[in-house]
Amino acid sequence: MPVDRRKTAVFSAAVLLRLLLFFVFPSLPDLLTGRVEVSTPVNSFKRLQEGLFLYTRNVSPYDGGVFHQAPLLLPLYALLPSVRDYRLPQIVFYALIDILNADALITIADSGQSVVGRLHSTSRKNIRWDGVAIAAWYLFNPFTIATCLGRPTSVLTSSAILYAVSNAVSGNSVNAMLALGLASYLSLYPALLFLPLVLLCYDRHATGSKVAPSTALFGLQNFGVFLASVAGLLAISYLIIGDFWEFVSATYGFQLLVPDLTPNIGLWWYFFIEIFDSFREFFLGVFWLHLAGYVGGLTVRLRRQPLFVLTSLLGIFAIFKPYPSISDISLYFALLPLYRHLVPLMRYTFFAVSALLYATVLGPVFHHLWIYAGSGNANFFYAITLVWSLGLSILVADSMFAALRDEWEEENPDMRGKDVRQI
Amino acid sequence: MTLLFTLFLSLICLVAASDYHERLELQPLPAGSLLASFNFRSNASQQSFDQQHFRYFPRSLGQILQHAHTKELHLRFTTGRWDAESWGTRPWNGTREGGTGVELWAWIDAANAEDAFAHWITLTQSLSGLFCASLNFIDSTRTTRPVATFEPEGDHHASDADGSLPLHLLHGTLPGEVVCTENLTPFLKLLPCKGKAGISSLFDGHKLFDASWQSMSVDIRPLCPDDGSECVVQIEQAVDMVLDIDRSKRPRDNPIPRPVPDDQLLCDTSKPYHSHDTCYPLDKTTDKSWSLTEVFGRSLNGVCSPAHDADSSDEEEEGSVCLHVPHERDVFISPGAVEKKNLEETSRCFTLQPSGTFDLVLSEQDENHHRHSALETPVLSAERTMIGHGQERGGMRIIFDNPSATDSVDFIYFEALPWFLRPYLHTLQATVTGHNDRIPRSIPTAQIIKESFYRPAIDRQRGTQLELALSVPPASRVTLTYDFEKAILRYTEYPPDANRGFNVAPAVIKLAASNNHAYLRTTSLLLPLPTPDFSMPYNVIILTSTVIALAFGSIFNLLTRRFVAAEQAEALGSQTLKGRIGKGLLSLRDRVKRKTKTE
Repeated sequence: MPVDRRKTAVFSAAVLLRLLLFFVFPSLPDLLTGRVEVSTPVNSFKRLQEGLFLYTRNVSPYDGGVFHQAPLLLPLYALLPSVRDYRLPQIVFYALIDILNADALITIADSGQSVVGRLHSTSRKNIRWDGVAIAAWYLFNPFTIATCLGRPTSVLTSSAILYAVSNAVSGNSVNAMLALGLASYLSLYPALLFLPLVLLCYDRHATGSKVAPSTALFGLQNFGVFLASVAGLLAISYLIIGDFWEFVSATYGFQLLVPDLTPNIGLWWYFFIEIFDSFREFFLGVFWLHLAGYVGGLTVRLRRQPLFVLTSLLGIFAIFKPYPSISDISLYFALLPLYRHLVPLMRYTFFAVSALLYATVLGPVFHHLWIYAGSGNANFFYAITLVWSLGLSILVADSMFAALRDEWEEENPDMRGKDVRQI
Repeated sequence: MTLLFTLFLSLICLVAASDYHERLELQPLPAGSLLASFNFRSNASQQSFDQQHFRYFPRSLGQILQHAHTKELHLRFTTGRWDAESWGTRPWNGTREGGTGVELWAWIDAANAEDAFAHWITLTQSLSGLFCASLNFIDSTRTTRPVATFEPEGDHHASDADGSLPLHLLHGTLPGEVVCTENLTPFLKLLPCKGKAGISSLFDGHKLFDASWQSMSVDIRPLCPDDGSECVVQIEQAVDMVLDIDRSKRPRDNPIPRPVPDDQLLCDTSKPYHSHDTCYPLDKTTDKSWSLTEVFGRSLNGVCSPAHDADSSDEEEEGSVCLHVPHERDVFISPGAVEKKNLEETSRCFTLQPSGTFDLVLSEQDENHHRHSALETPVLSAERTMIGHGQERGGMRIIFDNPSATDSVDFIYFEALPWFLRPYLHTLQATVTGHNDRIPRSIPTAQIIKESFYRPAIDRQRGTQLELALSVPPASRVTLTYDFEKAILRYTEYPPDANRGFNVAPAVIKLAASNNHAYLRTTSLLLPLPTPDFSMPYNVIILTSTVIALAFGSIFNLLTRRFVAAEQAEALGSQTLKGRIGKGLLSLRDRVKRKTKTE
């Protein structure tokens, strides 16, 4: 097998950069672990350590308010050396996960699904980056690097999602469903990706075989695999923890009901601090319904580009899920470069990017002013989360506009470059 | 102060003899302070208690206990801090005091933990009404079930034998409760003489709550004498306070401290700048003069002997007021009272006249003649503080200091933390500093911590409970630290003074020395939490909803519309209702214009 020299160079440079940052700034990982932008109650590395501490001392980690992560993480991290004695193995572990993610990204990019699918092929095929360039975008994204050093467990969810997508584009639908099952088991919300993912598998399956199988049958089969993988993981967790309802309510119940309002970059925390008690449950329902509502609309309207639906949904989840962190954003930004050909069609790129940069710089500053300096109040950080969410939602909506326009131009090649209206 | 404790133990042994005892112990402390310990004790036989036949036992409290199935009860109201460095060991070895605020613990008999908790809530609600305190705020987040820190003082073995329900210990604290006169009045009403006669007539709310440290306690326990006679239910009420003599002697109508007159000022003449108009004041080396009336602002009215029967005569022999000063010191007492000096030359007791007032005057005396009955250094000193800055996270640091050069100290450390303080136990670290070399050395916690019990908090349901069995080596100082995170609450969960911070209950330390226990409590802590902006729930709801609506609107706008070329759009536009209305308006305008032209 010929060694791809560019790929090797990018991967080793990425690992070296992470190790360099760790050795030059030894306190950086702990600093990042403590940042609200990186660590949320459902992915914090410090909370995982506490859970691990209780687990190794035979105290149920779920009989408490600190640990809300999936039970299988406990034996996994128990295998790694204790972070109190050795910190290097943890960094290496996370760097390797990043490399695996980048490898999955290369598979996705090289499949060309983003430009040529079964039902759609763009007229701008030539404007695209190759797999290694997209992997480099991912590996050298500052959000990815900060996530890697901050060591949140949501990296594993990202990894599972990327593997699900990479297996789907290479036609391995069973593996894709197993990986999605793992992602849903780890953080619940990836279950919403099932519909576009199964369509992606179906499209890939249909191009491969002469006779397209029945859609309903294919969907049901895959749903069965998905359910079986989730059930299997839950069964193993039950064997580890013993009390099924205890860990289900502490992990999934916690994510659904959002009792911990620790500040994060999302929109939920301040809203649910300030909401009147009698409306709390109602708005909890509304927020979840809003999040789930995008799945149907996008899947139906962008039926011809299921990979783009997956990308956009990941972007929407990174804005509107209860405990978002920058690891979710780095996952969205990992998949977005696959749509290089859409950039010429986007209208508000500058506005969206400047809003994101503005929020990235001012977010930590305003958080410091509120929490440490005491010269600002909670509204400072809240305002920045609003700007951040607004910038991201403009980016998502704009890329969606570009994708729809691209689709339309495929049908009407003569309209390329002309003014359009939407009615 | 061990003397007080042994005295107290010996009194317990005499229980069955009489129904009501009261006693006041006065002990001058260094730096012009005076420790006054009031003790009131009465009992009722178990049978009369069960039949609700109360004589000296307060009916109101007795009925609450029966209703809440409480077998043993300990209630404490405390303010201030016991300054162990200058005052020595605590009165009653710390067994009759609580942490700052209100502390309550009780043994309740119930079939299971849920029933016990229901009874506990009944108990706290009723006591809240009885003592005018916010005890009803002791909910599940403030209630713990200590495992090793508290042991029943009463005899419960008899009740276990006849197949009755198991006992549950529940413990609750209100560290933010301000103890004041409204708690004293119901406390006095439980006494047979209700503060009208006997030593309780000395209680004045203004003086009591102006003390440097004060603790009121109510203890109820069943006692079964070893000789097999009938069990009794004993109620013991105690008030301990440390008064600053100078401060209490100020007249109430003129309480502002005045500077010492020039001619009474003692100056350090060795200072180079000492002259006729500059002075470095020296502390007085004499023991101040004081009298009961001056210090308490009231005089002692007669004796409280509701019994008036032969039993009370034993008590009279003991004397109901005791003063712990050396025999050399002159003490003047009201006529009629009888002074009885004890053999150890450190205390004397007074038997009072049944009627008439009693006063006791100590003259000013040069301190050089004697030392105070030598202060006993505490076996262990403990200090708990919060470290770190910012409202996001912090750390707890607990320092244990063992002054003994030879013996290590074993004790149990108990702390109950509110749920919004989330400790990370995996960050628990211990360092030992020897008294000799003063170099802090980090050691594995297992060397110090023999056993531990940890129950993590659940948000809005229960607090953290941490109990550690520790051992501190001789002549060393052990520092325990752990990190914690501060939760942000819903805006309705903050008190009106949200930026003041939240009180964290004091830690309780039980010293397991020999058979009698000694207790130690740290001070309570103030935990600042991050606060939201309380003024703008509507703005937040509106702004967040706007951002969500913008995203939802723009995305679904894209999804539900179709593309057309710009010129096509105009053509299409003319067919729609909007286009037709626009066309109609245009033609109307044209017609009006034409009309005006023709005119």
